[in-house]
Amino acid sequence: MLVASDLVRRYGDLTAVDGVSFHIDPGETYGLLGPNGAGKTTTISIIAGLIPAHSGTVTVAGQPMGPREVDAKRSIGLVPQDLAIYPELSARENLAFFGRLQGMRGKPLTRRIDEVLDLIALSDRAKDATKEFSGGMKRRLNIGIGLLHAPTLLILDEPTVGVDPQSRNAILESVEALSGGGMAVLYTTHYMEEAERLCDRIAIIDSGRIQAEGTRGELITLTGGLDYIRLTGEGQIEAAATALRGLDAVVQVVADRRLLTLTVRDAPAAVAGVVTTATAAGMTLGEVEIVRPDLESVFLHLTGKALRD
Amino acid sequence: MSAALAIAGVELRRFLRDRSNIFFVFIFPLLLVLVLGAQFGGGGGNGRVAIAGSDSALRTAVVTALRADGVTVTLTGSDAMRELVARGRSDVGLDIAPTAATAFDSGKDIAVETITGSQQGAQAVLQRVRTAVGGLAVRQGQLAALVGAGVGEPQASAGLADVSASVTRPSLAIVDIDRVAQEFSGLGKFDLGAAAETLLFVFLASLAGSSTLIQTRRLGVMARTLAAPVSAQRAIVGQALGRLTIAVFQGAYIMLATSVLFRVSWGNLWLSLVVLAMFSAVAAGAAMLVGSVIDNDGAASGIGVGLGLVLAALGGCMLPLELFPATLRTIAHITPHAWAYDAFAKIQRHGASLVDILPQLGVLAAMAAVLLVAGTWTLRRSMARAL
Repeated sequence: MLVASDLVRRYGDLTAVDGVSFHIDPGETYGLLGPNGAGKTTTISIIAGLIPAHSGTVTVAGQPMGPREVDAKRSIGLVPQDLAIYPELSARENLAFFGRLQGMRGKPLTRRIDEVLDLIALSDRAKDATKEFSGGMKRRLNIGIGLLHAPTLLILDEPTVGVDPQSRNAILESVEALSGGGMAVLYTTHYMEEAERLCDRIAIIDSGRIQAEGTRGELITLTGGLDYIRLTGEGQIEAAATALRGLDAVVQVVADRRLLTLTVRDAPAAVAGVVTTATAAGMTLGEVEIVRPDLESVFLHLTGKALRD
Repeated sequence: MSAALAIAGVELRRFLRDRSNIFFVFIFPLLLVLVLGAQFGGGGGNGRVAIAGSDSALRTAVVTALRADGVTVTLTGSDAMRELVARGRSDVGLDIAPTAATAFDSGKDIAVETITGSQQGAQAVLQRVRTAVGGLAVRQGQLAALVGAGVGEPQASAGLADVSASVTRPSLAIVDIDRVAQEFSGLGKFDLGAAAETLLFVFLASLAGSSTLIQTRRLGVMARTLAAPVSAQRAIVGQALGRLTIAVFQGAYIMLATSVLFRVSWGNLWLSLVVLAMFSAVAAGAAMLVGSVIDNDGAASGIGVGLGLVLAALGGCMLPLELFPATLRTIAHITPHAWAYDAFAKIQRHGASLVDILPQLGVLAAMAAVLLVAGTWTLRRSMARAL
């Protein structure tokens, strides 16, 4: 459905996207997981044909994609991170406007608007101005606009940013239902849990590069079966980090203000020595947490920094 | 093209949904036309006369004579008549006392009190009143003389009417040698204000509305539009069309409302609409330029209103161009308002044809072309920034 090959995009001296390649099959949900500034939005802007790549190619449903490839854009539904809706207009009017931009008209458009309003659970508020909506309702409408013309590839750029837990769950359920319907979905997020829950395959992206790609299980094996111990405390944090690096069980130590994140072999066995060493170095411990490998661990392992950095 | 029309349509809808526009677009322009017309507008027709005094044959005869002369007559009380004249709402006040009415009935000399306003043209209206009252007095004296000579009153009245009908009255053409008066000749009470306010508000609405262009970029709607099967060119055409639609809507509304409410004459309506369309294109280009160069919608709105008012003042929309000193009047023509004002003046006052206003249309077209090209170029750059 989507093939992105060796995409490069620069802004002056900064290379925002640096050789990104991946593909998505029909019915597959593919996640781009990375922190803010990793290059996720720039990548999907290239894929959606909003900006050109300085090199590399994108094809969607076999058609080359770019800013001038107007017809190829019919295959894509874009749900941008911004709430790209008109606040003065009602939900129905917003859907009608974007439907017309997609070339939809008359009764088919009206019928499809009704379907989408049902899907995003806004039928009873269809005539209200969207400026009166809650954040979650606006997010749902934002997604509904992307779905209106039944695209074969739906691109969702961090669709749950700033959404309350209840609406967030509703959005995630909607996305799960979409991939079940055969639509290919490209989902960007910096929330590990969302990527784990929704995506068939995940690419971990940082500094404009895809660091690793695969299913959740495949990515976790990249950590080499290592565990994590998180120490939170006060006092001699840097001294404790230095001392902990000398332990045999400790592979890596990342210090972040009051938090030390240790990559260790067999955390349950190593935790006693870790606590003793940190305390001896002058760190007053507040909290000790053992973490089994997850995508956060994978990201930390690959980049040496936390996903939310 | 349908995408461009959809964009234009949604821009007009957003413009109309803005509640503050209900006052500034629909009510405020008409209030200004009303105020300007009441303060500075000409009387229309052959003047306005307020007549005080109880019902009598003399009052009826004076009213009939004045109305036959094209004068607008208001019947009122003595105090109200004086107030109408003092406020400039009547050119001349006439107080018909009971003694005058009685003298008229008996064919004797009559004397009525007149009060003349200070506005231009009041003296001419007074002369019309004198002529009318004098004519009645002569006729009444003739009737009394005939009756005194033994002719029956019905026969005397009929004879005088026959004579009056058979006489061709001399006509007097008054040539006004005052330049300003000549410039304004042919204008109704609200005509001047309506044309000026149309230009002022078309430009103001367009420039103030440039903020919606910024919001479209900032909200991400522009990016979403370009992710749809819509080329950048069509998106830009849609935005330009949207600005033009707003401008034409504002202008057409004022033209229609002033025609219906204030009976403003727009001369050849089609020509006036051509002028409006051309001026709207200039306003649309300016709005695109402001909305593309500035990234803050609040700032754009403020700058738009300020710029709109300054250009309107310089272009003759607050004080008629005819009252400008010659040098300032020349400078005024750096604004599109002055050119459109001239075109409306020719159409409204002098029944100009398309050929007569071609110079004004040509300048407006050139201004529109320059601003639309510049607006398109800057909008394309601002769209790239937004992506």
